[in-house]
Amino acid sequence: MTTISPARATITPPPAPAAPRRRLTDILAPYAYIAPFFAIFAVFGLIPLLFTFYVALFDWNPIGDHVFIGWDNFTRLFGDVRFWNAVRNTISIWFLSNVPQLAFALLLAHLLNHVRLRFAVFFRMSMLVPYITSVAATAIVFSQIFDRDYGLLNWLIGLFGFEHIDFVQSVWGSHVLIAVMVTWRWTGYTTLLYLASLQAVPRGIYEAAAVDGAGTWRQFLHITIPSLRPVIVFTIVTSTIYGLQIFTEPLLVSRTTLNTCGAVRQCQTLTLFLYEQGFGQFEFGYASAIGVALFLMVVVFAGINFYLSTRIRPGRP
Amino acid sequence: MVAAVGSALAVLAMSGCSGSSGGTPSESAAGKSFEFWSFTGINQKADVAKYKEKRPDVEVKLTEVGGATETAQALTTALAGGKVPDLVLIQGDNLPKFVQQPQNFVDLRTLGADKMKSDYLDWVISQSVAKDGSIIGIPTDVGGMAVAYRTDLFKEAGLPTDRDEVSKLWPTWDAFIETGKKYTAATGKAFIDNAGTGIFYQAVNQVSQKYYDPAGNPVYDKNPEVKAAFDLGLKAVAAKITARQASFSDAWSAGIKKGDFAVIAAPSWMLGQLKDNAPDTKGKWDLAKIPGGAGNWGGSYLAIPKRAKNPKAAWEYISSTQSPQGQLQHFTEAGSLPTTPSVYKDPKLTSVKEPFFNDAPIGTIYTDSLLGLKPFLIGPDSAVMGQEFLNAITNVEQGKGDPAKAWDAALTAIRTAIGG
Amino acid sequence: MTTTNRRSGDRVRWWTYALLALAVFACVFPLYWMFVVATTDTAAATELPPEIVPGGNFFHLAELVFTTVPFVQSIVNSLVVAATIGAGQAVLCALAGFAFAKLRFRGRNVLLLVVVLTMTVPTELAIVPRYMIISWLEWTDTLQALIVPGLANAFGIFWMRQHISSAISDEILQAARIDGATVWQIFWRVVFPLVRPAAFVLGLLGFVTAWNDFLWPFVVLKSPEMYTVQIAIKALQNSFAIDLGLAMSGSFLATLPLIVLFVFVGRRMVAGIMDGAFKG
Repeated sequence: MTTISPARATITPPPAPAAPRRRLTDILAPYAYIAPFFAIFAVFGLIPLLFTFYVALFDWNPIGDHVFIGWDNFTRLFGDVRFWNAVRNTISIWFLSNVPQLAFALLLAHLLNHVRLRFAVFFRMSMLVPYITSVAATAIVFSQIFDRDYGLLNWLIGLFGFEHIDFVQSVWGSHVLIAVMVTWRWTGYTTLLYLASLQAVPRGIYEAAAVDGAGTWRQFLHITIPSLRPVIVFTIVTSTIYGLQIFTEPLLVSRTTLNTCGAVRQCQTLTLFLYEQGFGQFEFGYASAIGVALFLMVVVFAGINFYLSTRIRPGRP
Repeated sequence: MVAAVGSALAVLAMSGCSGSSGGTPSESAAGKSFEFWSFTGINQKADVAKYKEKRPDVEVKLTEVGGATETAQALTTALAGGKVPDLVLIQGDNLPKFVQQPQNFVDLRTLGADKMKSDYLDWVISQSVAKDGSIIGIPTDVGGMAVAYRTDLFKEAGLPTDRDEVSKLWPTWDAFIETGKKYTAATGKAFIDNAGTGIFYQAVNQVSQKYYDPAGNPVYDKNPEVKAAFDLGLKAVAAKITARQASFSDAWSAGIKKGDFAVIAAPSWMLGQLKDNAPDTKGKWDLAKIPGGAGNWGGSYLAIPKRAKNPKAAWEYISSTQSPQGQLQHFTEAGSLPTTPSVYKDPKLTSVKEPFFNDAPIGTIYTDSLLGLKPFLIGPDSAVMGQEFLNAITNVEQGKGDPAKAWDAALTAIRTAIGG
Repeated sequence: MTTTNRRSGDRVRWWTYALLALAVFACVFPLYWMFVVATTDTAAATELPPEIVPGGNFFHLAELVFTTVPFVQSIVNSLVVAATIGAGQAVLCALAGFAFAKLRFRGRNVLLLVVVLTMTVPTELAIVPRYMIISWLEWTDTLQALIVPGLANAFGIFWMRQHISSAISDEILQAARIDGATVWQIFWRVVFPLVRPAAFVLGLLGFVTAWNDFLWPFVVLKSPEMYTVQIAIKALQNSFAIDLGLAMSGSFLATLPLIVLFVFVGRRMVAGIMDGAFKG
C-alpha cells in the first residue's frame, strides 16, 4: 500500500548543501544509505525473477532432470483450460473485491468527513480492526460463517425460508466468499486514505456549493468524487498488484481440495495454480511459465494504471 | 552486477541439481539424534514416545508437517534444496513420483533392507522399489477396508445392528446403496458422508487393475472396472443418500460428532480419526465388512533422503519399529494394519478388540479384507487421476455437474493434468 | 488533524450514525464471533440456532492450543520477526528516504525509478527460486529467512522521502553542514528526530504485515520450534479433522497481541495512515 503516486513523484533537486569541503565519505554516503534496499531486492527479488524466466524454458523436475524445451511450456500454457480458468477467477475475484470496496470506502469517508461527527476516533479505529487480523484467522472465521450446513449466514438464510447456499462449491459463491474477505480486510484502510484526501479539500468549496443550493448528494458527486480522483486511481493501482497475487484466501477456503480451491477449480487463482504446479505437481518449469505470465499481466496492468495516473490531474482547486 | 547475477544463477542452477552438499554430521549428534517428518492425524507422537522408552539415548525430533499431501510437498521442496529430514513418512499415493527419482533417497538395501524385504506383503513393498532395483521406502501399514456404522442410528431406522447381519445387508455395492435408501427413507437423514471417498474410492480400490495395467501403461480411460466404480459413485449421488460433506473437512467432522450420517468407509487408519474427532460417540460405532470383499485404501512408507545427516539413526528407528513384531505392537495400540503377513495369524492380532467400536474384532476384520486382494500397479499419476475422478463425482454431488457428462469431464481433466 | 477542512454546516443526520454503526459492526463482528466459538466446543459452534454469547470453555481450549502446537514459542518467534522487520524498515527506509529527498548523487532519478518499479514486481511468483537462494545460504527453517527479505520496502522509502521532503527545510541541513557535521551525524541528530513519528507508523505497518504474513513462512519453516503464529494456526488444523473451537481459539490467541498493541497505538496508526496519504 503506497501512499503517494509514483508517477507524481517528480524530483526537484534541493540546492546542494554548500559544503566547505566534501569528504569522500559524504559523497559515498547516499549510496551507502540506499544500498541495503538494493542489495536485498537484488538477492530476493531480482535474481529469483530472472531465474524464473530461465527455469520457464525447461522441463524442470526439482528432484530430477532439467531438460531444455524452449517455448514449449508457454505453448502448453496458452492451450491449458486451467490457466484461462485461473485468469478468469483472478480477474473476477479482483473485480468483486474492488468495486464494493471502493464504493463502501467512498461512502464511509464521506460520512466520516463531517465537522461535527462524534466518536470520530472510535469509528476510524474500528475500521482498522480487519487490517490487523491475519488472513489465516480471517479465512477460518469466514469459512465457518459461510458454511453450507452449519454456517451462521446460512442459518439466517434458512430462517427466511430459503435454501442454504453452498458458497465454496459454486463459482460465484466461492468468488463472493473470497471477495468478502478481501473487502472486509481493506475497506477500512482505503477509507482512511480517502478521508485524508477529503480533508485536504478546502471547506469553502462545499460552502460555496451549499450557497448555490447543491444538496449533499450533488456535493458528493461534484466535489467529493473529483477531489478524490487521484487517490482512487492510486488505490486501484495498488489493489491490482495485490489482487493479482491473491493466494492465502483461496488456499485456506477449501482445505479438502488441496491447492485447487474446489472440485472444479472454481476459485483457483493464478498464484494458487502456480503453487499447485510447482509444489503439488513438481513441475517447476511449468510453474515458472505461469509466473512469467503473471509477471507480464502485472506489468501490463500496472502500465495501464501508470499511464492513467499520469493523465489524470488531481482536482486541485 | 551482470557478472554477479550470472555467477549467482550458475550457483543456483547447480544447487538446484544437486542441492547443497550434505555436510558431515557433528560428532556429538551422530547416531544420537535425527529429524523425522510425518503427517498429522495418525498419532505419530505415540510411536516416537515408545521408541524413546526403548532408546533413551536417542533424540527424535518429530515434525508433523501437515496432511499427507502437504508432507510430500514439503519433502519435494526440501529435496530441491534445503535442509532435509533424516526420516520421512510418505503416503502410498504420493510415493510413485519419488520412486521415479531414486537418486534422492538412500537405497535401503545398503542398510540391510534386503534381509527384511520378505517380511512385507509383496505387492506393498514392490511399490517402493525403483527401476534400478533400489528400495527407497519401508511400508509401515496398509489400509485394509471396512465400514463403520452407528448402531444407535441403525436401530432408529429399523435396520439390524449386529455386525454380521449388517455385513449381510450389503454383499455388493448396489445392495449397500439400497440399504442407504431404506435408511434415508426411514430417518430423513443422510446415510453416508459423501459419494466420492465413501463409495468411489472404496470400489476403485477393489479392482484387479486400476489406472495402470501391469506393464505400466495408463488405462484409466478404458478400464471397465474404473468406469464401474465411477458409476457406483454417481448412483449413490442419484439415490440422494449422501450428506455431501467432503471427507476431512470442518463440516465433515462436525457431522460425525452430530450423527448427521450413519456410515463412514473406514480403512484401519480411519479408526483413530473417528476416535479423535468424536470421542463422545464411543461405543455407538461398530464395524461391518466392506461390500465386494477385499480391498485396500492407503498405507504409508518410511524413507531416508540421500542428504540426510543421520541416516544410521533413522535406519535404526525403521528396523526397530517396522519389524513384524514392531508393527503388530503398533496395531494393538493405534489400529493401523501391519504390512507383515507373518503376524496376521498371531493370536495377539486376531484377539484385538476395539471398545470404541463396540468391541469389534478389528484384527480379523481388516486382515480378512486384505487376504483376497489382487494387487494392482500404482503409477506416477495415479494420485492425480484419482483426484480428478473424485472431483467430477463431487461436482455432480454438489448439484453443479451433469451426471451424463461427468465421466468425460473427468477424462478431459486428467488428460490436461498429465499432459497426455 | 485539522478540523477546518471538514464538511461544514448542518447537524449530523441520525442515519450517518446508523450507517457508521453498521460498518463498525461489520468490522468487529467476525472477531467477536471468533471469540464466541473459541469459548464453546465444536458441537456448540455448529448448533443452530447458534450461540451468540461466549461460553465458559475458553481456558480449556486455550490450554489445548498450547499443548497441540508450541504456541508460546510461536508468539515469541512472531514477535522477534515482526519487531525486527518493523524497526529495521523504519531505520532503513528513513535513511534511503533521506538520501532520495535531500542528497544529490549521480543516478538518483534512475535509482528512484527503479525503486518505483520494484513495487510492481509480484514477489509470490518467484517463490521457488527464492526458496533455492535461502537454501543455498543455508537459511531454511531460520527466522532470518523471514526477516532479511522483509527489510526491503520500496513503499516505505517513498513514504519517508515524502515526509523528509516536507518536514525538513534545507536551511537546517545547511546550518548543520556549516557546523561541520557529517552526513551521518546530520541524519541522526537532525533528520531522524524530526521524522520519528512517521518512521514509527511505518514500523507499525511493517510489524502488522510481518505478523500476518503466511505464504513465505509456510514455505520456509519446517520445525515446530520455528513456527510463526500464522503457521501455528495452520498446524492446528490438522489435515484429517479440525476442531473448529480449537482453530478459532488459536486464531483468536494469535490476533490478541495485535489487538492489545492496537489499543495502545491504534490512534497513531490511524493518524499516520491518513497523514502519509495523498494531499491531492
